[in-house]
Amino acid sequence: MENTDLSLPLIRTDRLSKVYSTAKVRVVALAEVSLRVAEGIFLAVAGASGSGKSTLLNLIGGLDSPTSGAIEVRGRRISELDKEELALYRRQGVGMIFQSFNLIPSLTALENVALPMMFAGVSKAERKERAERMLERVGLSHRLTHRPAELSGGEQQRVAIARALVNRPSVLLADEPTGNLDSRTSREIVELLADLNRWHGLTVLMVSHEEALVREFAASVVRLRDGRVESEEVLR
Amino acid sequence: MRFSDELGWAFSNLRKRKLRTFLTAFGVTIGIGALVSMVSFGTGMQRNVSQTFRSLDLFNSIIVLPGDFLRRPGPDPDEKSVALPPSEISSTVLDDAASARIAAFDGVETVFPEVRIPALVRWNGEEELRVIQVLPAKVAASRMIKFSAGKPYDTDDENSLIVSSSLLLRLGVREPAAAIGKPIGISTIAFDFSLLSPAGLMAALGGEKLPLVLEEHEFVVAGVAEDLVFDGPGPMRSEVYLPPGPAGKMKRLPFTSIWDLFRAKEGRLGYSALNVRLSSPSSTEPVKKKIKEMGFGVFAFSDQFGEIRRGFLIMNMILAAVGMIAIVVASLGIVNTMVMSILERYSEIGIMKAVGAGDRDIRRLFFFESGAIGFLGGVFGLALGWAVSGIINRVVNFFLARQGLPFIHYFSFPWWLCLGAVLFSVLVSLAAGIYPAMRAARVDPVRALRHD
Repeated sequence: MENTDLSLPLIRTDRLSKVYSTAKVRVVALAEVSLRVAEGIFLAVAGASGSGKSTLLNLIGGLDSPTSGAIEVRGRRISELDKEELALYRRQGVGMIFQSFNLIPSLTALENVALPMMFAGVSKAERKERAERMLERVGLSHRLTHRPAELSGGEQQRVAIARALVNRPSVLLADEPTGNLDSRTSREIVELLADLNRWHGLTVLMVSHEEALVREFAASVVRLRDGRVESEEVLR
Repeated sequence: MRFSDELGWAFSNLRKRKLRTFLTAFGVTIGIGALVSMVSFGTGMQRNVSQTFRSLDLFNSIIVLPGDFLRRPGPDPDEKSVALPPSEISSTVLDDAASARIAAFDGVETVFPEVRIPALVRWNGEEELRVIQVLPAKVAASRMIKFSAGKPYDTDDENSLIVSSSLLLRLGVREPAAAIGKPIGISTIAFDFSLLSPAGLMAALGGEKLPLVLEEHEFVVAGVAEDLVFDGPGPMRSEVYLPPGPAGKMKRLPFTSIWDLFRAKEGRLGYSALNVRLSSPSSTEPVKKKIKEMGFGVFAFSDQFGEIRRGFLIMNMILAAVGMIAIVVASLGIVNTMVMSILERYSEIGIMKAVGAGDRDIRRLFFFESGAIGFLGGVFGLALGWAVSGIINRVVNFFLARQGLPFIHYFSFPWWLCLGAVLFSVLVSLAAGIYPAMRAARVDPVRALRHD
């Protein structure tokens, strides 16, 4: 499975489109987006709201399926997977974090982080051990038994990051991870993502409209407008 | 996903919503409780009857009936009965000669006629009307009667009798042993022939005086019989047993049943029935065949037992059907709770899918949760059914004890009922969980995550 050809990008989308249609309206969320995401890059996706950023991330994250076009991750066409294969891909291929953190309120930080491993069939003891290590890595070893309501926004997002990475995916998809955070905490979170990218070779795809943070940490930025790629800019 | 995780997740989810889990499971509890107590009543009755059959040795009992009114030659073309010549008709009368012939058959232990006499039983000023039964000493000593005090009379001519403990209680005797050896009055009822004068007849028709007279006899209590749990159609259906000797000298009404009247009219008296006791149940068929050849009607209790079992099966099914109604209602409660739970955990389902749960995982989690409700409901329902039937049993027995009847376990909880109840509860709940589980699995993660 491992792709040794370095010239191949980690993620490739080919004329990717997503159309939401109801009886009355037809909304084109994404129109023929072709992208290449190299392995190990910190790529930002920018654009006004409604430009299709989140749709793109959901498609790459395997939460949604495209109307037309293809997505390849490590040469594997995930746009052609069936539902169970897609679940397996979400479990092991990608990690996702969201603006609203999306932690399960009734579970502790540790249980939230351990959740993806439960679906992967990891034993209880190993789940606990790996979740602890992951929370330690995001700087929350003192918050293991706290529930989301007892954590600050920044802490909640760190728990979400730990959860996204606990099954060791090759790419992290972050959908406006700083949207609910103050500017100081926002910077800390993006810095954490940048560190993971730099020191652990994690490929990060981050949707954000915080221009300053994008300019400070991302390696390149793709701008979307009305579901189309407007521009691609290499920052460093 | 591991099975242990699925179970653990289901139960921990139920713990989080204690009130709702309790209410939903309580619905199941009531349903299973109803079902369990209904079925346990059915099985309890069945057990009691078969125990009675066994303890009274009914599998060894046959009743011989006069052949003439069971198989009367009629115009039925299928029935190839030929009118018997007069010489043979007399042999189909159940008299002592017939009794002696049957007693000579292989496998027959005892034959005794069915003689019942309506009489008043008197004790210390109390009196009760009973149909008393005439029983040879040999039979009284057999295991067909269980004694709580005293012993059977030794000979057929003794002036003593056997009385049941419940009748004694009604007569005011609490301790059976206290009655042994004491005198007891028996008053038989006979026609008052003095009333056959026109004046007497007029008085009788006018309702001023019944054409009956009482004849007093005195006996000694030899034994006190334990009461029968079920007085089914067995040969022992009386609360007083007399030896044939003194009974033969009593004046009494010449009939105890309407059949006697018919037969008396035809001038064909004889016993209304003969009780035959066999040495083993295996002789039932050959003896039955021989008796039929004699022209009599035969009734074997072992045949009847099969009928009774079929009857109980039907009764059990009807009782179970009543319990099922409660279960159906409870399962609708589960569907409702689980569908509510989907709406409530909409975003949670989305999150689980986002971190890698497949449709199958979600389906199973909800499915297991329904099953867990069913398990809790089943276990508590079993406990409830057990407790309620225990209370009913005590209350019923409290009132029956005042009538002098022995303690009876009306309910039975065999292992298969306990296991079956819980298993059934889980299965019904799983079935109720199918639709919610499918619906939960269909939740679109993109919409669910946008939910809040």
